[in-house]
Amino acid sequence: MLARTHTFTLEGLLTRPVTVEVDVRPGLPAFAIVGLVDTAVREARERVRTGILNSGFEFPARRITANLAPADLPKAGPGLDLALACAVLGATGQLSREHLESHALLGELALDGALRASAGTLAVAQAAREAGLRTLVLAGARAREAGLIEGLDVAVAERLASAVRVLNGGRGDPLPEASQPRTQRAERSAEPDLADVRGQPHATRALVIAAAGGHNLLLSGPPGTGKTMLARRLPSILPPLSVEEAIEVARIESVMGATVEGLIRARPYRAPHHSITAAGLIGGARQGWVGEAVLAHNGVLFLDELSEFARPTLDALRQPLEDGSVLIARARHSAIYPTRFMLLAATNPCPCGYAGASERCACSEADLARHRRRISGPLMDRIDLHATLAAARAPAGAAQRDGEGRVSSQIARSAVLRARERQAARLRAEPASLNAHMDTSVLRRHAQPTVEAVAMLECAAAGGLLSARGRDRVLRVARTIADLEERERVEARHLGAAIALRPDSATAAGGAR
Amino acid sequence: MSVLRPGDAGTGQRDACPSCLRRGRLLAELSPVLDRLAGDRARLFAALALSEHELLDALAGRRRRELAESLLRVDTEELAGTRAGGQICRHAAVCPPALRRQGADGALFLAGPTARLTALTAAPVVAIVGCSDASDYGIESARRLARGLAACGLTVAAPLDCAIQAAAHEGALEAGGACLATLSDGIDAPVPALRRHLHTRLMGNGCAVSELPGAVRGRRWGRHAAVRLAVGLAAVTVVVEARTGSAEMAAAAHARELGGPLGAVPGRVGSRLAAGPHELIRAGTRLVRDAADVLDMLPDARGCAAARGLGAGARGAQGGPARATLDSCSRRVLERVGAGGDTPDSLARPGEDPTELLLALSRLELRGLLGRGDGGRYVLRSAASAL
Repeated sequence: MLARTHTFTLEGLLTRPVTVEVDVRPGLPAFAIVGLVDTAVREARERVRTGILNSGFEFPARRITANLAPADLPKAGPGLDLALACAVLGATGQLSREHLESHALLGELALDGALRASAGTLAVAQAAREAGLRTLVLAGARAREAGLIEGLDVAVAERLASAVRVLNGGRGDPLPEASQPRTQRAERSAEPDLADVRGQPHATRALVIAAAGGHNLLLSGPPGTGKTMLARRLPSILPPLSVEEAIEVARIESVMGATVEGLIRARPYRAPHHSITAAGLIGGARQGWVGEAVLAHNGVLFLDELSEFARPTLDALRQPLEDGSVLIARARHSAIYPTRFMLLAATNPCPCGYAGASERCACSEADLARHRRRISGPLMDRIDLHATLAAARAPAGAAQRDGEGRVSSQIARSAVLRARERQAARLRAEPASLNAHMDTSVLRRHAQPTVEAVAMLECAAAGGLLSARGRDRVLRVARTIADLEERERVEARHLGAAIALRPDSATAAGGAR
Repeated sequence: MSVLRPGDAGTGQRDACPSCLRRGRLLAELSPVLDRLAGDRARLFAALALSEHELLDALAGRRRRELAESLLRVDTEELAGTRAGGQICRHAAVCPPALRRQGADGALFLAGPTARLTALTAAPVVAIVGCSDASDYGIESARRLARGLAACGLTVAAPLDCAIQAAAHEGALEAGGACLATLSDGIDAPVPALRRHLHTRLMGNGCAVSELPGAVRGRRWGRHAAVRLAVGLAAVTVVVEARTGSAEMAAAAHARELGGPLGAVPGRVGSRLAAGPHELIRAGTRLVRDAADVLDMLPDARGCAAARGLGAGARGAQGGPARATLDSCSRRVLERVGAGGDTPDSLARPGEDPTELLLALSRLELRGLLGRGDGGRYVLRSAASAL
C-alpha cells in the first residue's frame, strides 16, 4: 500500500515542499529511505521504527520503501521524522489516510514516541499556508511561532499518538503555556534613550540623518566620547518593524533555532566583536547557520573598532552591502540570505585614539598610514556619512549647554518617521524605498536641487573636492536632510551640511597626509 | 629609486676626489658607531664635520688600521659605482658655495645630474625643519610656507623622513617649484613606501642628495645627518615645530653656527610643539608667518621675486583678496577655526543654526580657505589660487 504525507525541508531561509511516499509490500524486512537524504534523515530509520513501536503501534516486518520527493532536492534535518512515521502508519492502515492531503507534518521523533520541535517552524508555517495546506501538525514547543501565521490551523501533538489522533479527525493536545515574560524582547524596561548622550550634538544629528534616510554612518573620535552609546541608541530612533519585516526577522531567528514567542517590533541590533571571521559575519559554516550580517537584516549592524577588523572580514561585507543579500555556495548546499541592514561603524582616528585632538597622540606616521589603510576600501565606499566626535571640553555655560543639544529618542523618532513618509511617497514608483538606495537615475529624477545647490555642486566638482560618486552620495544625503526639514527641494544649506558630513577622501583612499 | 634611465649614464659627473669618496665609504663602515652617537646631536654633528683621517682617529677605535688599509685598497671607480647620477665633493668647482661652510671634506652623492643641483642651489635655498610628530597645524604651515617660497622661485630643501618635511616638499611641488631632498639613506637605498610617490614626483624637476654611497642604510644617525645637510645647503633655515631640546633645535643651533639667518613659525602658546620656536623667537630669531617674511630675511631675494612680479602675491598667500569677498558669517567661522576650533561641535555657538554652520564650513572648504585633515578636522588653508 502507498501512503503520502506532506512536509517541508529548509534550504537556508527558504522552505521547499517535500512529499513523503511510503510503500509497504511483502518481502524481506527492510526499511529504505531514498531521495537525496542527509545523515540526519537516514538515521530517521531508527527513530521512526523505535518511536512507532514505543507508541503502541505495529512496525511492519515487511519491505518498506520511503521516497522523499522531489528526488533531486537535498533533504536535511530531523524535522521529517513525523511525516515518515505517519506515512508508514498510513501505509499499514494504522491511521486514516483521509486527512493526509491537507495536513503538513513537522517534527523530530524521540525514541519513546514523543515529538520534538524543529528549527525553522515559522518559515515552514508560511510555506504551508502558501501551499494551500489547511493544518500544520507539530510539537508544542514551537507551536506559538506557527500560530503567528494567519490562515493556517495549528494542531499541537506532543507525542506520535496525538498526531495520529489528529490525523484521524480528532483534536490535538493543548498549547503549552507561554514562557515567562522575560523572553518578551519587545518591551524592554530600560530601553536606551538618545537623550542619555551628552555633548555630541553634531554626531547625534548625523545619527538622525542616517536613520531618516537609511544611510550608513561612520563615527570617529577618541575613546570615551560616546560612539558606542550613540550606536546603541540607533534602533530606538528607527521606525518599528512592519509586519512583513517582523516576520522576516522572526524567520531568521527561527532558522537559527531560537524560540520565537511573538513578533518583535524593535529592530535587530547586532554588534559583533572585531575578532569575528568572514564566516561568522556572513554565515554558511554549516547549513542553516547564518552570520551576523543576516541576523541584522532589517536592523542595524554595528562594527565597533572598525580598524581592528580583519581585512577579509570587511571584504566579505561587500556583497551584502551592495546586493542586500548574500549567496552562500558550498559543496552540499547553496542558499540566499537577505542582508538589508544599516551599517554603523565606529573607529578611533589613530591606533592610540587621540590623533590630532591634542598632543597626546603617540603614533608615528607609519602607524597612522597603516590605520588609515585598514578602514579604507569597498566598505568606506558605501558609507555616506562621517561624523567626528571630539572629547567634550568642560563647557563654560554648563547649565545651558546641558539642556540644549540633547534630543530624546521620541522626538528624533517622530522626525525620522515623518521624513520616511515623505520618502515613501516620493519613491512609490521606484524600486528603491529609501534615499540611501537611490541610484543615479532615480536621484536625477527626485533630488530636485535649487539653482544655488546646483552651482555649489559644480563648484565642488570643479575644485576636485568630489568625484562623480561623491557627488551622488552628497546629493542623497542632502535629499534626506531636506526631507527632515520638510522641504520640497534640496537647497544650498542642505547640500552644505551634506558636504560637511561626507567621508574624507583621505579616509576613503588611504592617501598620505 | 632614481628615475634616471640607463641611457642617462653620461649625465652624471664624477667631480669628487678619491679622498672624499673614500670618506663616504668610511661613513658607511662606521655607521654603527655613529648610531651610538646619535643621542647627542652636538657630538654627532661634530663627528660629521671631520675629514677622513680625523674620523679614523676619532671613531675607528680598534678597527682603525684594518679600515685604513681596506679603504686604500678600494677602487675609486668602484666607489663611484656604475649607476647614473653624479658625485661632487667640496673641493670641486661646481660644489654649492653654501656647502663649503660646513667644513670637512666629503662627497655628496646625487640622484640626478650635477647640473640640476647647480641650478637648484643658484636660487636661494630655504631649509624647513620640523619635528616628526607634528600637529595638523604644523604640517599645514609647512606646506603653505613651502608653496609660497616655491612660487617666488626659491628652492625648498628638507629631508623626506617626517610629515612636516614631506608637506614642505608637497607644497613646493604644488606651486610648480623644484625641491632639494636630502636623504637619510644612500642614494640607491629603497625609499620608504610612504614617501615613494613623493620621491618620484620630486625627481621630476628636483634633486636628491646624500652623504652615503650606494644602498647604505643611514639608520638613526642618517636622519640627523640629512637635516644637517639640508641646513648646510640653505641660505635660510625655518623651524616650524619643535620641542625644546629636540634634534630640530640642535639643527637650528647648527644653522646659527653656520651664520645663516634663522626663522621660526609660532604656534599656540602652551603647546609643547611650539615651545621650540617660541624659545628661538624670544632669543631673537625672526618670526616667520609666510613666504614674504622669509624673503625679508634674504639680502637680494626681493629683487628676484619682484622680477617675477610675485612680491605682492606672496603676501597675499594668506588669502587676503579671497577673504575680502566673504560674508560676515563665513568670516566669523574662519576666525573661529583660526582660534583653534576644528570640529563642528567646537565651532558651534549657542543660538546659532547648526546647519548654517555646516553650510559656511562647506562653502569655505569649496573656496579653498579651509581644508579637512585627519578625521574630518578643519584646518586653515590658503587658497592656492590666491598666490
